[in-house]
Amino acid sequence: MSNNKVVIIGGGPAGLEAARTVSDLGYAAVLIEKRQRLGGTPDEEQYAKLTHHFRDAAEAMDEMVAAASGPGVQVLTHTQVTSVEGEAGNFRLTVQNGGAPQTLEAGALILATGFKHFDPGRETQYYNYYTYPDVITIADLEGMLKAHKVVRLSNGETPKRVAFIQCVGSRDRQIGNEYCSKVCCGIASKQAIEIRQLLPDTQVFIFYIDMRMYGYWENELYWPAQEQYKVNYVKGLASEILAKGDRLLIRGEDTTMSRPMEVLVDLVVLSVGMEPSDGTREMARLLGLTQNKYGYIAAGGPGGLDPVATSRPGVFVVGAAAGPADMDDSIATAGLAAARAVALLRRQA
Amino acid sequence: MDAGLDKVDRILEKETAIIDGMDISGSWNRMFEQRVIWDYTPELIEKITHLPGGESFGWCYQCASCTPVCPVDMVGSYGPRRLFRAVQTGVDLFTSADLWLCTTCANCLRVCKKEVDMVQIMPATREKAVLDGFVPEELQKAFEDTAKYGNPLGQPQRKRAAWAKQAGVDVPIMKELGRGVDILWYVGSYPSYHPRGIDASLAAARIFHALGVDYGILGNEEKDDGDSQRLAGETGLFEMLAEHNIGVFAQYEWNTMVVTGPHEYNAFKTQYPKMGFDRPLMHYTQFLAGQLPKLQDLLTHSLPLRVTFHDPCYLGRHHGEYDAPRALLQAIPGLELVEMGRCRENGYCCGGGGGGMWLDSFTANHTSMRLSEKRVMEAAASGADVLAVCCPFEVSRFEDAAKNTGNGHLRVLDILELLDMSMRGNGY
Repeated sequence: MSNNKVVIIGGGPAGLEAARTVSDLGYAAVLIEKRQRLGGTPDEEQYAKLTHHFRDAAEAMDEMVAAASGPGVQVLTHTQVTSVEGEAGNFRLTVQNGGAPQTLEAGALILATGFKHFDPGRETQYYNYYTYPDVITIADLEGMLKAHKVVRLSNGETPKRVAFIQCVGSRDRQIGNEYCSKVCCGIASKQAIEIRQLLPDTQVFIFYIDMRMYGYWENELYWPAQEQYKVNYVKGLASEILAKGDRLLIRGEDTTMSRPMEVLVDLVVLSVGMEPSDGTREMARLLGLTQNKYGYIAAGGPGGLDPVATSRPGVFVVGAAAGPADMDDSIATAGLAAARAVALLRRQA
Repeated sequence: MDAGLDKVDRILEKETAIIDGMDISGSWNRMFEQRVIWDYTPELIEKITHLPGGESFGWCYQCASCTPVCPVDMVGSYGPRRLFRAVQTGVDLFTSADLWLCTTCANCLRVCKKEVDMVQIMPATREKAVLDGFVPEELQKAFEDTAKYGNPLGQPQRKRAAWAKQAGVDVPIMKELGRGVDILWYVGSYPSYHPRGIDASLAAARIFHALGVDYGILGNEEKDDGDSQRLAGETGLFEMLAEHNIGVFAQYEWNTMVVTGPHEYNAFKTQYPKMGFDRPLMHYTQFLAGQLPKLQDLLTHSLPLRVTFHDPCYLGRHHGEYDAPRALLQAIPGLELVEMGRCRENGYCCGGGGGGMWLDSFTANHTSMRLSEKRVMEAAASGADVLAVCCPFEVSRFEDAAKNTGNGHLRVLDILELLDMSMRGNGY
């Protein structure tokens, strides 16, 4: 007799959606989150707006939390999984939430442990992120945008000119992240629009290798950024940032002009990519799941066409735990994993 | 200088240069083009995109589809993509020579995925430059002549219909006719005054007569349509001319207007309607192609000529008419039509549009070769004896170009002239 419960690990968008769907399908869901609050990275990192329709991130997350808070979902916050035993249909988890360890039983597991932002100081000092206060990341900028106050941290002044540098920590053999993080072009364009809305006199530049505005982000973000909000897209990454007076000199090549550029700006925003979160790495280790060379949980199944299958039967992976993902990817894979998990329980019942 | 040229600022030096009689050849005119981009100037882009009509200048995402099809890029460094970057890196288009090189031929717009529309951007930007007094001298003269005489050639208004006396057939003038007509023939400035334009007008008069067309011309009541002046930035002058012409058109009874020139066609089709004029309109090739069964019977003499046809930008790309001129050429017995590589939708511009007609020396100073010369060389390479045209700007441009490029054997003839020759059996 197998267990009729699905345990979802991780309370961000993907985990919330998975829990909600399992419950909607008439099965019991247990949602485990190590933080005190649900909402995942958008909540933890104080995102201002989502790239989707510029929705207020807190409001959107509140909606997702509310949708996953029905009687069919048992939420365990401030809780971490410390061991998993058993197999598909009969998993036994040990969880810790401050007090004595507890045991949970589950028929299937869904991993929604997500990503973390690339740290520009992780190995080398990327663009002097830890030296110059006016070099920040897109994650830092989200916080500023949420507070409606975009300033130079060096002196508290409004920047007259802001430059985004794309692909920081992505598409990079040297640091080992060869993949494209998929969302940063859209996020930079979204943030550029928000800066122009907030500070109409501030000029905004995006220095890029190639803009990867897949699908509707092209017309919803890239085109409006350029056409309505006059954001300047310049092909060619800045390769170094130097202090010059109280401003920053970015040096690179303007590739379509085939000329070097040395331009002064007030604020540099590094479009940092995604890396597997510590939780993703830890759960992969704990569950003995195959990881890809970048540390994400290997997904796809033997034929490559099952985006939520892991190397261990009965364990499914959703969202950015399996690789760079946007909100659509996270929610879509969450729904699929919920369906797969419930199907497994029904087969074994 | 050998290696490392790309590491230093570019040295520019004209071997021979004489300015105002002073010889400043060689090192005396040495200039350095700064290599490093020190600053970006989005504010210069916004100066253009803030103008009504200039909005799409800022839409370019640098795909560069426009560059290979831009006729000016073939004789220089040009195209919307390059202009966008030039302005973003410090060139003020309002005072730059680049402002005057675009002929509004619309080949870039044909391939532009973002619909960056130079046909709107250029007139909007030039209008501001004209108001600020930044206009090349020769263009300014054409504006002034048009304002003063009603035509850019600076010819007297009262002699606008003088050509008609040589036709050998009656050319009815509306004011004298005292009745309505089926076809109102708007002759246009070059066909009224330029010697080679007059040749085409005379041929048209003879063809209309032979076909028994019930038509009339406006004589010295007609003024230049003003469209190319508008595209060159003189909106006020255009509106003045349009107002005058619309008033004259309204004085008479007629069914359909036939124009000799594609630029006039564009004016009356796309611009005059904004001022209230909206009547049936045809380019002469369309009108005569419609008369073909009857016209065919008149084309009794064989013309054993290899002919290539130059699509006018403002008939082809701007208004989609590629077939009528060809139908007329193919109706001429003995005539063999050969196509140039760049034809129809991708036709190469003669350089005369958008004010280019009155910027010949200016453009020649800023490009390696005139567009008309480039085009004539293509025509000669096609093996044709005759370069056939149906835009009054082109005959004189291409004839000069044929001589300049050593292709004097290539005859430049309006389709009207070819039809007239076949009808009368003389002239070739």
